[in-house]
Amino acid sequence: MSIDETTQRGTGLSRKGLDSGTVGLLGAVVIGVSCVAPAYTLTAALGPTVAEVGVNLPAIFLIGFIPMLLVALGYRELNSAMPDSGTSFTWATRAFGPWVGWMGGWGLIAATVIVLSNLAAVAVDFFYLLISQVLGDPAIADLTLNLPVNIATTLVFIALACYISYRGMQATKTVQYVLVTFQLVVLAWFAIAAFIHVANGTAFDATSISAEWFNPFAVGSFSAFAAGVSLSIFIYWGWDVTLTMNEETTDPGRTPGRAGALTVVVIVVIYLTVALATLAYAGVGDGELGAGNPDNQESIFATLAGPVMGPFAILMSMAVLSSSAASLQSTFVSPARTLLAMGHYSALPKGYGRISPQHKSPSYATVAAALAAAGFYVFTRLVSENALWDTITALGLMICFYYGITALACVWYFRAQAFAGVRNILLKFLAPLLGGVILLVMFVKTAIDSMDPEYGSGSELFGVGMVFVLGIGVILLGAVLMLVWSRINPAFFRQEILTRGYAPRR
Amino acid sequence: MRYIVGYTADARGHDAVCLAVALARRQEASLDLVLVTPEHSLYAGTYPPDKGFDTLLSEQMREWMDEGLALVPDDVTARGVVMRAESNAEGLIRAAEDTEASLIVIGASSRGLAGRFSVGNVARSLLHASPVPMALAPSDYRRTDPVTRLTCAVGRRAGADAVISVAVSSARRRGLPLRLVSLIALDAGQSDAGNAEEEANRRLAEAASSLAAGGRVSVETARGSSIEDAIETMAWDEGEVLLVGSSRLAQHARIFLGSTAAKILRTLTIPMVVVPRTYATPGTTSGPGALPTEADV
Repeated sequence: MSIDETTQRGTGLSRKGLDSGTVGLLGAVVIGVSCVAPAYTLTAALGPTVAEVGVNLPAIFLIGFIPMLLVALGYRELNSAMPDSGTSFTWATRAFGPWVGWMGGWGLIAATVIVLSNLAAVAVDFFYLLISQVLGDPAIADLTLNLPVNIATTLVFIALACYISYRGMQATKTVQYVLVTFQLVVLAWFAIAAFIHVANGTAFDATSISAEWFNPFAVGSFSAFAAGVSLSIFIYWGWDVTLTMNEETTDPGRTPGRAGALTVVVIVVIYLTVALATLAYAGVGDGELGAGNPDNQESIFATLAGPVMGPFAILMSMAVLSSSAASLQSTFVSPARTLLAMGHYSALPKGYGRISPQHKSPSYATVAAALAAAGFYVFTRLVSENALWDTITALGLMICFYYGITALACVWYFRAQAFAGVRNILLKFLAPLLGGVILLVMFVKTAIDSMDPEYGSGSELFGVGMVFVLGIGVILLGAVLMLVWSRINPAFFRQEILTRGYAPRR
Repeated sequence: MRYIVGYTADARGHDAVCLAVALARRQEASLDLVLVTPEHSLYAGTYPPDKGFDTLLSEQMREWMDEGLALVPDDVTARGVVMRAESNAEGLIRAAEDTEASLIVIGASSRGLAGRFSVGNVARSLLHASPVPMALAPSDYRRTDPVTRLTCAVGRRAGADAVISVAVSSARRRGLPLRLVSLIALDAGQSDAGNAEEEANRRLAEAASSLAAGGRVSVETARGSSIEDAIETMAWDEGEVLLVGSSRLAQHARIFLGSTAAKILRTLTIPMVVVPRTYATPGTTSGPGALPTEADV
């Protein structure tokens, strides 16, 4: 890093210190897998996805990756074109102007806030499960069903993660390597143990694997298909982090792409193996351990790890707890930074733009994100019987929303360059356009379907499906806040701060 | 001569800048205002990755640094430095080592309500690891006039030599009066009070006689039921600075705040400089940190 200096009369600022170093292929894959958090993701998403598409789970897991990949390619282009401003908020504002940009930022904040509340809740479930396994007292695991205890513990977890994030503490390389390895080993253990039960005839509802499970067209309806895809967007959420690493890698030309591909292989293999193992062991029936039983679908490993892994189920609790707790802490950074950027550009009150002088982290925005996550969780827990399930489905909806907007922002921002060469046509036009359209179609379809009170977990509020209330409710809340703020301080909305633009033809 | 100032854009950072200016004046010392920014770990797993924050943070730090440098009067030279480090303490130590600085100046935590000095996290970690002397500004320290007197607390244990030699050379260079003080806590249960006093006096006399003639040196003994009481019996000038040595527990040439010094820190209302054990003491080999060979506070 350069060493120059600033004096009372001079300008510029010197920066010294160790360069944070670069990551190689393995490091990048570890980072990718840690962002996906497979142990947490599977326990949270497997059940709801089975509820939508049944045995066609493997097909949906494979199909779900396609829009994710298409959008990520567009993201990568935006990232290298505007490396200094990397949020959906700034990108969408640059491409579509303040109103769409604001909503894009809101979508990202809402998605991360929803996942925070879900992460905390999953962590709490497995926290009590782990304690009960350690002490050999099943009654403790049921504490999480006690509403006041559950809410109080979840709020404590959120507060802790908020504090850690505010203090700017981060997971180190060693911690991530250990966490990721541990998760993968335990998930593989679960799958192998399940297959052994199937082979020995001790499985709960041995179901033989069929090629039909991989056929996406076998999914009964477009509704189920759309719901399944928007859920599987969630399971790959985080994967694209590898593509955005450029100068941080040892070989910027090749490492990000290879790491992205390798991460996907690791993730897909582990997802498919665990999905097949779960279906083969438990079937999709609604029996005691069936993957089709709504009681099991909220958190599949909480139910199945015990029967499948025996005494070693404790490892699964540790894997899910560590995975969700680590994600809880690292995900906190995200809504806080977007809120901070919005505060900075006057898209929100100035206070959100405040950085802590001591810890150099967003101060106001971090606390705001924690309060939002806590508030969202308490609301969902109080009004819904299947809070975890509903939040995951609403989350899928929200990711489709902000990813879709960002993908189209990519297309629009690069419109002048789109047809200059095959590479541009593919990466700056076709991929993001297709990805964005698919996601927005899934979003609209799922949103319409979710108005049905029978949708998803079957929770409802005033005769409207809970997922619709949570997902669309949050988006409408954003729209209202945007209108109110544009009355109070219209500077951002008059493009006095961030202006629309597009990539020049070159 | 260069002083490292642990700067944060709050009241505590302001205290540190004021003290650094007071110490630097008439010393031709220049100041490095150091802002420590956390090391960006790729393994933190932040998702979605957001490089916009780094841009905003740099902008904010530039603003903060301008504010910090504006606090420094024109007759003192100062520059701003941003250090990337895992912790504030680590960044300041590295800044001091890189520039062979002779002093680190920081503000004590401002959150303390009971005592004026309540040791903050940064101060605490520095006090246990700094290879160079450290100056601690009490909260709300706004004086920037040059220091008027140095007081050196002389302990009874080995290790006092370093702080006395720093005090002497520093007072001589600045042409300041030097006061050597022995602090004695007369606990109710302590029977060897007489011994303690005798020992303290012997030590002071020894120290005073070891000084070259010509300096204005006074010798004092402060008594109290506790160290805090002893401190409170003493009269302090407004522009005074107290120097204390470091505990015997310290690694060679590192600061480790002894229990006595920690007590002083809690009661004192003037700035205090803590000197590492064996720091710049003539005749001792200095550690691998390549320390300056002259006591330069």
